Amino acid sequence: MIDSPIAREFLETGRCASCGVIDLHAHYGHFRGIYMPNHGPQQMIATMDRCGVDLMVSSGHTALADMVRGNAEMAAVTAQYPGRWYAYLTYDPHLRELGRRELELYDTRPTFAGIKLHPTFHQTPITADAYRPVLEFAAARSLLLLTHTWGGSAFDSPAHIAQVAERYPSITLLCGHSGHGQFAECMDVARRFSNVYLELTAAYAVRGVIEDMVERVGAHKVVLGYDLPWFDPHYAIGCVVMAHISDEARRLILRENALRLLQGRLRVP
Amino acid sequence: MSSDIVYMDCNVSVGAEYAGTYRPCLGVEQLLAEMDWHGVEQALVCHTLERNQSPVVGNAVLAEEIAHQPRLVGAWSILPPQTEELTPTPAFFHEMAAAGVRALWAWPTEHRYVLNRITFGCVLDELSERRIPLLIPCDWDLAYHVLADYSELTLVVTAQGPWGNDRYFRPLLERYPRFYVDISRYELDCGLRELVNRYGADRLLYGSAFPQAPMGGPRLMVARAEIDEPSRRAIAGGNLRRLLEEVELA
Ligand SMILES: [Zn+2]
Repeated sequence: MIDSPIAREFLETGRCASCGVIDLHAHYGHFRGIYMPNHGPQQMIATMDRCGVDLMVSSGHTALADMVRGNAEMAAVTAQYPGRWYAYLTYDPHLRELGRRELELYDTRPTFAGIKLHPTFHQTPITADAYRPVLEFAAARSLLLLTHTWGGSAFDSPAHIAQVAERYPSITLLCGHSGHGQFAECMDVARRFSNVYLELTAAYAVRGVIEDMVERVGAHKVVLGYDLPWFDPHYAIGCVVMAHISDEARRLILRENALRLLQGRLRVP
Repeated sequence: MSSDIVYMDCNVSVGAEYAGTYRPCLGVEQLLAEMDWHGVEQALVCHTLERNQSPVVGNAVLAEEIAHQPRLVGAWSILPPQTEELTPTPAFFHEMAAAGVRALWAWPTEHRYVLNRITFGCVLDELSERRIPLLIPCDWDLAYHVLADYSELTLVVTAQGPWGNDRYFRPLLERYPRFYVDISRYELDCGLRELVNRYGADRLLYGSAFPQAPMGGPRLMVARAEIDEPSRRAIAGGNLRRLLEEVELA
């Protein structure tokens, strides 16, 4: 059986004392199409404890459908768990004026650690003018920006990400789902642009993808997420710790890369 | 580590796919090596040729592949009896026994038939009586229709994918005592705990959907799910071994 001390510790205890997980792609709240038994804030924190997760950054499901209500909700819920739970400001490209006000509120919401875009849900290419205000805001402040990406998408394919990465080099871009289905293309973008990172939600469930990312791009460009409260962190962590990669790579993916990216960006210690 | 728990994967395959697999598993040696790496002792395996070419070809190839592999139990695929492509029952069941095959797959979409009583008549009644598990790809309409026609059938719905499916399959768990769920890709946070609390552990089968998916995700998820040890043992492999032991092929 696998001889990794990290894998063994997760299998035996559910956690790894020397490698607390940092989750850069989480959510919060109900969502259509899925029954989530573990959606409450305290339940999500309990899952973090159970799975050895030190910190997570969430965007609200409410905010996808109703930006103003949802961002306020995320600010309030994360404020209850300082140091443990942070939020992304979700931006709706259809609501330009409200979006401007949401960006103005960013400074009053200290648990906000970056921006979340979902071009596929909002049916708007991330390269469209409608996203320019939020991208300029993020670029001016060198923010962390998590965007949904999907292979072949008309809104957020790896080719779209390359355009954004080139135009806004000061934004640290996390490719949520790593361009699922166009993994090779997304890896190319992450290799070409120093500001582009591969995020593993759902991608971890395709056998061989993690190994290829580590080999072709480098473990230093890969970060973990799993859409909590959707997916059991142990499913995602199991894919990482039992992949055919080194323990050093496992540590970078589970923890170290995310810590490095969050450094200086967390306004609540 | 709970080394007394013997994992048995209900959903693995070997062989190529038309559209390709990100990292294919072309033979049983690769499969066994991955099982060793992940601490999985046994598996119920089918060959992709069963689905992609024909059960006539694929069933025979699988039999060759798993011969002398005591850790692997085979799952063949069925076709409608009308076209007489496979050996008719009950001789078919004797061939299964000789080949180390104790479960069956149905691929109605790929093989272009309707999986119901009009097509299969008493053949699926024979499966029910002999307690031969029938595995189907995840299609909830199909599962509801098959079980409406054959309420005693041991039916396993496989690889449901990570989007929510509880609203689909919980009614089937409540209605049909021989309905089983392959938990590969059932990644829902605390999903296993909630299912075990409500329905017990008896109808959940550990699976990975390898080689499309890696084995590590479900392996750690089941190892650490918040369920008692008897439930974990049952899901990890006990339920599937019990199902396969119940099968009567003679
Ligand atoms: Zn997400």
